[in-house]
Amino acid sequence: MPAAPVTSSPNLRRLGIAAVAVVSTIALAACQAPAPEASGEPVSGGTLVYASGDAEPTCLDPHVGGNYPQALLAGQFLESLVSRDETGEIIPWLAESWTASDDGLSWEFTLRDDVAFTDGTPLDAEAVKVNVEHLKDPATQSSTGYLALGKVDHVEVVDDLVARFVMSAPDSALLESLTQPWNAIQSPAGIARGMDENCQAPIGTGPFIVDEWVKQDHVSLVRNDDYTSPPADAAHEGPAYLEAIDWRFVPDSASRYAALQAGQVDVIDNPQPDTISAAKSNDALVWLDAPRPGAANRIELNSGQAPFDDERVREAFIRAVEVDEGIDTLFFGTAERSYSPLSSVESVAYSDEKLFAPDLDRANELLDEAGWSERDADGYRVRDGARLTLRFPVSTNQSIPAEQSLFEQVQATAKAAGFEVVIELLDLSGWYGALAAHEYEIVSAPYTKVGPDVLRILYHSDSITPAPSGYFANLSQLNDPGVDALLAEAASTSDPEARAASYNEAQRLILGGYYLLPLYDQQNSFLMSTSVQGARALPTVSTPTFYDSWLAG
Amino acid sequence: MTPGSPADPPSRVDGAILRRTGLLVAGAVFVLWAVASLTFFAIRLIPGDPAQAILGGPGSQASQEALDQVRRDYGLDQPLLVQYLAMLGRLITGDLGTSYALKVPVAELLGAQLGATLLLATLALALAWLLALGLAIWSTGRGRVASALGEGIEITAAALPHFWLAAVLIAVFSTALGWLPPVATGTPSGLVLPVVTLAVPLAGFLAQVMRESLLDTMQQPFVVSARARGESALGVRLRHTIRHAALPAISLSGWALGWLLSGAVVVETIFAMPGLGRTLLQAVTLRDIPVVTGVVLLVALVYVLMTVLTDVVSRVADPRLRQEGAR
Repeated sequence: MPAAPVTSSPNLRRLGIAAVAVVSTIALAACQAPAPEASGEPVSGGTLVYASGDAEPTCLDPHVGGNYPQALLAGQFLESLVSRDETGEIIPWLAESWTASDDGLSWEFTLRDDVAFTDGTPLDAEAVKVNVEHLKDPATQSSTGYLALGKVDHVEVVDDLVARFVMSAPDSALLESLTQPWNAIQSPAGIARGMDENCQAPIGTGPFIVDEWVKQDHVSLVRNDDYTSPPADAAHEGPAYLEAIDWRFVPDSASRYAALQAGQVDVIDNPQPDTISAAKSNDALVWLDAPRPGAANRIELNSGQAPFDDERVREAFIRAVEVDEGIDTLFFGTAERSYSPLSSVESVAYSDEKLFAPDLDRANELLDEAGWSERDADGYRVRDGARLTLRFPVSTNQSIPAEQSLFEQVQATAKAAGFEVVIELLDLSGWYGALAAHEYEIVSAPYTKVGPDVLRILYHSDSITPAPSGYFANLSQLNDPGVDALLAEAASTSDPEARAASYNEAQRLILGGYYLLPLYDQQNSFLMSTSVQGARALPTVSTPTFYDSWLAG
Repeated sequence: MTPGSPADPPSRVDGAILRRTGLLVAGAVFVLWAVASLTFFAIRLIPGDPAQAILGGPGSQASQEALDQVRRDYGLDQPLLVQYLAMLGRLITGDLGTSYALKVPVAELLGAQLGATLLLATLALALAWLLALGLAIWSTGRGRVASALGEGIEITAAALPHFWLAAVLIAVFSTALGWLPPVATGTPSGLVLPVVTLAVPLAGFLAQVMRESLLDTMQQPFVVSARARGESALGVRLRHTIRHAALPAISLSGWALGWLLSGAVVVETIFAMPGLGRTLLQAVTLRDIPVVTGVVLLVALVYVLMTVLTDVVSRVADPRLRQEGAR
């Protein structure tokens, strides 16, 4: 099939999606609870109180750095060129249509002609150009948004409403990357104020406006009365129903839930599994389950050094540990076991359950074969006087208590086969430090990104080379030219079917080499009072949107 | 003892006061210098690169150029001793530096949070005093049962961890009874649970100390003579023995305020209140060295000021201490 221009024409896109769907092995949205059914007529007015357990951002501009807490907030006041709907299809947002050249080296985006930023600046091609330049400028200190635009060389203004992205190499993930809040479009005049001021209150085109940020307390968001630009899958047009959002920072999860129960807040994020379980039996509360896109949560096996440079030892570990029961009990049935490197929201996710069936006899056999045939007094295997020890740095910022307990079960079940798992609980700096120093044999690191291109970031051998900070994303240190070739192919083809096939084969190789133990989707949940109607998670990075929301009675 | 001539009593007293003040100021400066130095070196022992902290925190993917630029701008490429002296130089001029993460002056950041934490700590201290005094007065000299009960309550209260007490208070007064909000939102009702959480364990400590000296005092001859004059038991307690009981508790209050500030880290996080405690927690997580140093210095300063204050208050409460200087 020749490289077809990708347009927003529904028929062509549906064809592509259908092809992807055929290849995919996980039914999309199977694990995703449907958004709560809206009932009754929307009511205008009122203030929604949101209590966030995520870290308070140090800068509200998601171009700077680029983490999930920033995305949560930015989704309320900034918008992207394109979005993604529930089926994974790219849909219009600030751009109403787009085309790619046959060689994939040039993309033209046509913007809506009726959109202005909340400071009055009109949205035009020049604004898009300024945003891309802002993201690529080292002074902006962008990390996530910068990486997503890695293959964008520059943007040209074709006319007022047409912006041309000139690529240094074809990038099949460009549209998916552009849906992300870290690549959202801000007012050029806002950016021109400089980082300090723009961090306080970025200016976008979104349904709400940042009114005030009281550090360590709350961010006040007020309605944008001139709002015109909902994404194509929104439920209504025109301004939001809510008059304002009071976005509070409540770090303690028990306090957050107590505040929700007491009616002090309407929505909370990051509920713990036991809380979700309790809330499910509470008629006044609704659970919105919105797994994050990109990679599934998984334990990576460091194949770059002994003992996991031996595939037999890797398989032995994966056959030895049992996690199913732990996931069931520790997560109270709120998390579903995954057998894929990708999140279940990615339509090309490939699973292979039989690779992960626990089999202690097989594990023992493999370890004997690999030369770890003796055991010491404590029951741990030894070879040449060295114990079979696996260092497991765990980030207390990224692993919730239930996950930390699950890791203890991994430790206990691995012991039966003679592995000594040494769990080290670390704060974020210490954790990144341990990884940079290669002081780990196993590790669990979440990675959120829209689309399957996350596989290239996590498993291409290029990602073993550390950034100047010591950070590298390929934590399994998988170095397979076959996988590299498939991932490069998938990233550059413009044929959706070929892309899906390459990703499929790459995932088959990655899973088959026993480089990782998939656990579950990256958990991302919200609990809401039943009075909150019409809220949903955006199918991009699963941040909640309150544009269609109202407060009933 | 004092060097002044006996023929010139007033200047002798002045000299003593001057000397005392001079010693206090020198002591305070020494404490602040020691705290600043300890913090400076201790924070470099924990893993984490300050240049990375400036460029988006741990795990940032900043370029080598950006890292180099930041190291030059912040003087992080200088030898440690040079950095240390530069920090001392800044501190002497009253400059606390700029937050790595938030890019605002530390003084401004702390100024905005100090009020909230001081209000919380002061209210908690006041409530703890009331509770402790009430308990001590009620439980002493009333026989074995009251004494044992008082002692039991004190020990239990003093042993309560803040995070546990907070959870119980929220479960009872917010979730079950619905009387008070679980999360503080700047209203007076939102302050009740945090203040009680901080005050109860402290009251346990204070009451233990107070009851001890109250018991001592009750054995004194002047109490017997007051009773002989016809004073009621409560009257004796309120008019004569409180002052004695309060003395050790007063000198404990300087320590108590420092203890409350550390308790504020937990309480501010649980009740989602702004304040120094939460600022400190966030700054440590982000390796925001100037903010950590600033908070630690501020707490040390409060500690020093409180020590001076309790010294003065003790002199007011206990005339014997006042006469010491002029003796």
